[in-house]
Amino acid sequence: MIRSVVALFAFAVVLCGYIVLRPSDNGRAMPVVSNDAAVTRAQTDAILAPVAATAILTNSAVIQAPQRNTAPGINVPVDNSTMVSTAANVLAGLGLNVDPNPDAVEDDPMRRMTAGVLSGIGAVTGNTVTTASQDPTPTSALELLVVQALKEGQNDDYIDTLVNEAATAGTITVPEILVTSDGRVDTHVLLTSIIAQATIAAGGVAPTAPERPEGVEVRIVQRATESQQYRFYTVRSGDSLGAIAMNFYGDVGKYNLIFAANRSTLSSPNNIRVGQRLTIPDA
Amino acid sequence: MTTRALLRVAVALIVGSAVAAQDVALTEGQADVSITLNGQQIIISRTQDTGAILTGEFAKTSRPCPAFCIQPVIPAAGVTPAGELEVIDFLGGNVANNTGLLIDARVPDWFNKGAIPGAVNVPFATLGSKNPYQADILRALGAVPINDGFDFSNALTLMIYGNGPWDAQGTHAVQALIAAGYPPALIQNYRGGLEDWLHLGLTTVLP
Repeated sequence: MIRSVVALFAFAVVLCGYIVLRPSDNGRAMPVVSNDAAVTRAQTDAILAPVAATAILTNSAVIQAPQRNTAPGINVPVDNSTMVSTAANVLAGLGLNVDPNPDAVEDDPMRRMTAGVLSGIGAVTGNTVTTASQDPTPTSALELLVVQALKEGQNDDYIDTLVNEAATAGTITVPEILVTSDGRVDTHVLLTSIIAQATIAAGGVAPTAPERPEGVEVRIVQRATESQQYRFYTVRSGDSLGAIAMNFYGDVGKYNLIFAANRSTLSSPNNIRVGQRLTIPDA
Repeated sequence: MTTRALLRVAVALIVGSAVAAQDVALTEGQADVSITLNGQQIIISRTQDTGAILTGEFAKTSRPCPAFCIQPVIPAAGVTPAGELEVIDFLGGNVANNTGLLIDARVPDWFNKGAIPGAVNVPFATLGSKNPYQADILRALGAVPINDGFDFSNALTLMIYGNGPWDAQGTHAVQALIAAGYPPALIQNYRGGLEDWLHLGLTTVLP
């Protein structure tokens, strides 16, 4: 009896030892540090070099100021699209592939994260959504209209009349920086921007700001420690904020600099008035 | 010590070891859950080691606040709070039948160290209005662009979590979605987050 109890006890001790000393699976309780982030970037395709297409564009949309009929008081419907993306989408509609956001640095973290988010959601839901920047197809009525006219080889005046008629009729909306001081749509700056983007896409040099833009007033303000140079511009008939940005910076995308510097007198980019004095900050 | 006493000790030890070897189930009678999401099977169970304890980041009790303050269970009116069982039910229900999405609102660094199976990483900052691509994410969540914003009537139901009760990332995500117009009725909040999930020894995955 004693012997069998002792044997049983010994077995129990061995069993306890095993329970205490067995390899634990604690590892499962905490996640292991993983290797690198699995977020991948969905890059836009390599920029094509649309040399021939640029030539076509330059022919049909020569940089010449379209004739401007003064028709104040027209309420042009605006949207929140940007001039740069509108121009890029028009180019995409013509079969040219341009990054609609050339100012975005390669490593735009938001864009990278968003691309990761979209592929993550797509993996679970099975629905693929790409960012607008990855899918630059003409979507707005304005873009489709301009693409159609350029394909037909229409000249600037024709496009200007066409776009303004459509805007007056309310069938298209335009980026707000294209609205001029007399309530028209500045097709000139849109067409110029399209050519500029096509030129950049073709490997050309981005247009630079003119040496001395017309109508500029320079003031030097002396302070105790420094002297600061301010530039002012008085809005004339037919000006749009995009055109002013193009004149001063050679880049319509920089209209935001002007808009930000004049927020106290400018309620929105489509609200510039003839005679209004705008501060032009340094780029 | 009598032989009878020894026998009692031995029997107690054997019974005790039998208890230690018993499964750690999710709930009584349910050891684990198997869910198929878009053709991929995930299994959620618990660590079977009854001696396991948390160590490292998720064992801390007193992070500095401000920065890591105690978060509300309901970050905005109309949002439904959830616990672990609701999260598991959500995966097997809404997510499996494509009407919902489990969202890990943490920054990718955290997500990549381990996440709830079936979760999609949507860092809270990408849902904010400062993200120029916010609209793309809302579209991916089933919102349909209309004239003045979005139509959310066919949008996915969302279950959102962050690192835990001390972490505002989930709260921020919920509030950013609501600011963008997402209906609170379509949002559920798992405040316990990864910390409470790990504290119960539940399965995590490396993305």
